[in-house]
Amino acid sequence: MKIAAPAGGTWIKQWRRWAPVAVLVGLCILIGLFNSNFFGLSNLIRMLNTASIPLVICMGATFIILMGSIDLSAEGVIAICAVAASMLVANDFTGVAIGPLSVPAAIVIGGLIGLLNGYIHVKFRIPSFMTTLGMGFAGIGVATAILGGVMVRISDNEFRNYLSLGRFLDIPAAVYIAAIAVGVAWVIQERTRIGRWLYAIGTDEATARNAGIPVDRTRILIFGIAGTFYGLAGALSAAQIGRGHALISQDRLFAAITAVVVGGTALSGGVGSVLNSVIGVFIVIVLTNGMILMGIEPYVQKGVQGLLIIAAVALALDRSRLDVVK
Amino acid sequence: MTSEARARLQTWLPLIVLVLLVLLVGGYDRTFFSLGNLMEVTADTMTLFLMASGVTLVIMIGGIDLSVQAVASMASCILAVYLPQLGILAIPLAVLGGTIAGIAGGYVSTRLRIPSFIATLAVSGVVLSAGNWFSETKSVVIPGEISQNYLIWAVGDFLGVPNEIWVGAIFLVILSAILGLTPFGRLVRGIGAQERAVLASGIDADRIKIAAYTLSGTMAGVAGVVMAARLGSGSPTLANEFLLPAIACIVVGGTAITGGVGSIWRTFVGALIVQVVRIGMTFVGVSVFAQQIVFGFILVIAVAVTMDRAKVLIIK
Amino acid sequence: MTIPVLEIRGVSKSFPGVKALDDVSFAINKGEVVGLIGENGAGKSTLLKVLNGIYHPDQGGIFVDGKPVIISSPRQAFDSGIAMVFQEQSVLPTLTVAENIFLGREEEFIRFGLISKRRMNQAAAIELAKVHLDVSPATRCGDLSFADRQMVEIAKALSLHSRIAGDVTILLDEPTSVLEKKEADLLFSIVRGLRDRASFVFISHRLEEVLEISDRVYVLRDGKCVKELAARDATVKDLHQLMVGRQLHHEYYREARQTEPSLTTVLEAKNLSKSGAFSNISFALHEGEVLGIAGVIGSGREALARCLAGHSEVDDGTLEVAGAAVRFSAAFDATAKGVGLVPAERKVEGLVAPFSVTENMTLAALPKFVSGLRIRFADETRVAQQWIERLSIKTPSPNTMAGSLSGGNQQKVVLAKWRIAGVKVLILDHPTRGIDVGAKEDVYDLIRDMTAEGLAIVLLGDTLEEVIGMSHRILVMRDGEVTASFEAAPGLKPKQVDLVSHMV
Repeated sequence: MKIAAPAGGTWIKQWRRWAPVAVLVGLCILIGLFNSNFFGLSNLIRMLNTASIPLVICMGATFIILMGSIDLSAEGVIAICAVAASMLVANDFTGVAIGPLSVPAAIVIGGLIGLLNGYIHVKFRIPSFMTTLGMGFAGIGVATAILGGVMVRISDNEFRNYLSLGRFLDIPAAVYIAAIAVGVAWVIQERTRIGRWLYAIGTDEATARNAGIPVDRTRILIFGIAGTFYGLAGALSAAQIGRGHALISQDRLFAAITAVVVGGTALSGGVGSVLNSVIGVFIVIVLTNGMILMGIEPYVQKGVQGLLIIAAVALALDRSRLDVVK
Repeated sequence: MTSEARARLQTWLPLIVLVLLVLLVGGYDRTFFSLGNLMEVTADTMTLFLMASGVTLVIMIGGIDLSVQAVASMASCILAVYLPQLGILAIPLAVLGGTIAGIAGGYVSTRLRIPSFIATLAVSGVVLSAGNWFSETKSVVIPGEISQNYLIWAVGDFLGVPNEIWVGAIFLVILSAILGLTPFGRLVRGIGAQERAVLASGIDADRIKIAAYTLSGTMAGVAGVVMAARLGSGSPTLANEFLLPAIACIVVGGTAITGGVGSIWRTFVGALIVQVVRIGMTFVGVSVFAQQIVFGFILVIAVAVTMDRAKVLIIK
Repeated sequence: MTIPVLEIRGVSKSFPGVKALDDVSFAINKGEVVGLIGENGAGKSTLLKVLNGIYHPDQGGIFVDGKPVIISSPRQAFDSGIAMVFQEQSVLPTLTVAENIFLGREEEFIRFGLISKRRMNQAAAIELAKVHLDVSPATRCGDLSFADRQMVEIAKALSLHSRIAGDVTILLDEPTSVLEKKEADLLFSIVRGLRDRASFVFISHRLEEVLEISDRVYVLRDGKCVKELAARDATVKDLHQLMVGRQLHHEYYREARQTEPSLTTVLEAKNLSKSGAFSNISFALHEGEVLGIAGVIGSGREALARCLAGHSEVDDGTLEVAGAAVRFSAAFDATAKGVGLVPAERKVEGLVAPFSVTENMTLAALPKFVSGLRIRFADETRVAQQWIERLSIKTPSPNTMAGSLSGGNQQKVVLAKWRIAGVKVLILDHPTRGIDVGAKEDVYDLIRDMTAEGLAIVLLGDTLEEVIGMSHRILVMRDGEVTASFEAAPGLKPKQVDLVSHMV
């Protein structure tokens, strides 16, 4: 007799790969049937605009989850970066006004906090969910403490226009920026060593180490890269609403994790892609939009997202790979 | 350091830290030492302790429950909304809400085999929506006379001691007894220490784990009820900002995030430490907002100190 | 005289309780294929891990082209010209074939900071052509068959010789165990074709294959290199003799205490199958009987033992306990029917190390010690104390942490746990692994005690002698099937060489 592992239904594999897309298409058709406004140009553009900031956040979150880790600090990092960006452009709180340079500044700040996350997680060997939970709360605390509870009003309209509100071909600038962020994330994922290594680490850390991959360095760096995306998301948030305050990122983390997971990226690591998360973001946005069109109370959204996480994780789970779950 | 010396240190260090902190704060302000003040500080700590006491069990099995602040908020909403209609029955109803949320978290985590932090995070989303639904997204005030009738057990005094302390003490004793005397308590420790060995001994570990999450949700419900009683209202955001201090006081008390080691009284000590640190920071003039930063770092440091690294080879 | 491309001299490596390698030396010349054989636990894997930088030798040195080298990681081994094809595959299913082949060595395909997938795939295609594997380098490895993945693993190792200057040695650890005959033949022709460029160390339980492909064969036994011989002069039978070669000690295994089992069947397996592990296993186990199962790693006996104890599920066939069909989907199903497992990984599955001796002993029978909701502590301590005396467990007190006891005493605690739970059938998976000689004898005594009291035992021995010495009956497994069955009454025990010829 030959002993070979069961080949595993390729049909099921294919289905799993395309299920998120099928869900998205199905949702669109369903909502479109109930409400003709759904497919209207203005509604589609509105959804794209709503999706822009979640897309940028999810690019970072996806990388971390692909490594098998989790980052619960997104809200804190975004808050700090949004407050920083709003204080660096013309505003009513500080005398600084460095204009467009505030965007790279926010990105760098985000990146540094991300690196700190990664450093603490790797060097002190603390599980990432704990490190980032603490760091996330600390981030919100920092943002609040800087402002002492007040809000920064941005008076630099160019900043707001180029980053978020201005339209080209009817589509807001934020959408283009999000598209560029997705492009960059995709190139990092597909065409750089670190992108390939994060898959290797997420799939099997021991093998990755044996292949000579500097696992610790890669982990820290990926947390840093995720931080830069949060930084950009912070700048975008500030530009979008024209203010900076500590609660600017409220509920962003939950929506981001929902989107990544619903998009088909596995929490166990190694499986998924930033493109999956793009689909995931649109599933969440379309669903929220549909609920609004149907007149469902907004507070139900978080509950629906919670159920989505559970359903998506339960369906995507490869039970054979699991041992003891904590 | 031998493992036994380490265990002894982990048991006594939090208590020593607490005493030192109390002396430190008392050095700044002598009135801190007055019996009345000490009791007030303790009474103020009890809601935090109640919330953290259940989570302690979940952390001891090696999991985590991130849903407790949403659960406590929901319980406060249920209480505030139904107290005028149902009277005393609203209290068990509110706690039952927490119990159900706990069962849901445990079930999702163990039966669907989803890591607990994500399972309980997802459940907390649902619970938050439920809280909003009960209260119609508003803050619901509990009328004074109704509170006098039904909630005096939580806010009055008995033998000169605030009732919060009595409530906290009762649950401290009950949960400690469950943990120390029952087979459930022993298996909680066993699952945290070496789940596979417990499984191999023919024990249905999932049932024990679901029970731990259930107790955690129940205690969050109790905390929500006491919180609503103290504040005289329920709201879907009542317990926000409580999750981090709750986890902090468990870990600071010496319960390891890796599971297996811990106790309820350690969490009690941890809660007092967190409270005294908070008071100390207010004395020194650290803003309420900046205190979150301090708790964030305290949490990370305490995790780093108490964690048993020999147990996990790959840390994700 | 030529300088060997790879040589090890006087290498020793000890682990707590065992000397895994004891002064081992061997050499591989350029273009040579060297076979390495030995029983389970003879030291083959340890030797490979030393060569691959996963373990570091306590003594002795490794020489490449006559120069001493220190190998501290698999990557360093690779850079020294030593590549390993792992028995348990190291191909990552989420990456493409090309990415797997060049994992950690992407530098040469990077231009302007980006990986050129086109160039990487081209380079991979060249490596794939060498192993005649006709798949696109851009295929995700998870979509390949198991055998194809094995070929990718081999291609990855072979890619070494076009990447570094100097000679190359490739370690093949059981590379054929998942391959069909045709694929194995292909692998051999590839190995022969590459001999002008690389040397090979070939490890296999299939001795015919070892003789077919190798120039020379080294035989390891108990961590020592006992023989080096030319393959063309050797027969499979010679190798069998060399692999075993130890004498049985009747007294050591308490053969005099071997009693006749009763005729009552307690456990019966009928055509048990599990895909990827074993198929069509049937046997009956009687009261007071020790049924030994012999087989090499990969024979499926470990998986069978776990299925018998409910730790994993069988796909097909029926299992009967005391005449009634049962279906085990979790360990608690098995314990409820009186079947327990003493696992090979004592510290992971056997004991809760921070628990006290008492707590461990009563873990499987906790309800017996509960009144109302409360555990009767005095009661359980008393029972634990009895078993501590009965099994002469050396512990300062019943409250001592079980993890702090010696391996042998820990194993006795695990045995006591199942005795207290009152099991009827005990599956012993390597019960004497990692415990010292005296404690081993104690365990053998305990096994005899248990059978005398009517317990039925399935024994997966640590060594072949142990299986032969202890068992009433022995099943031999190979590639997931039972290949032979021996009666093993005292004085009429089968010879090791008889068993080995059915194992490999």
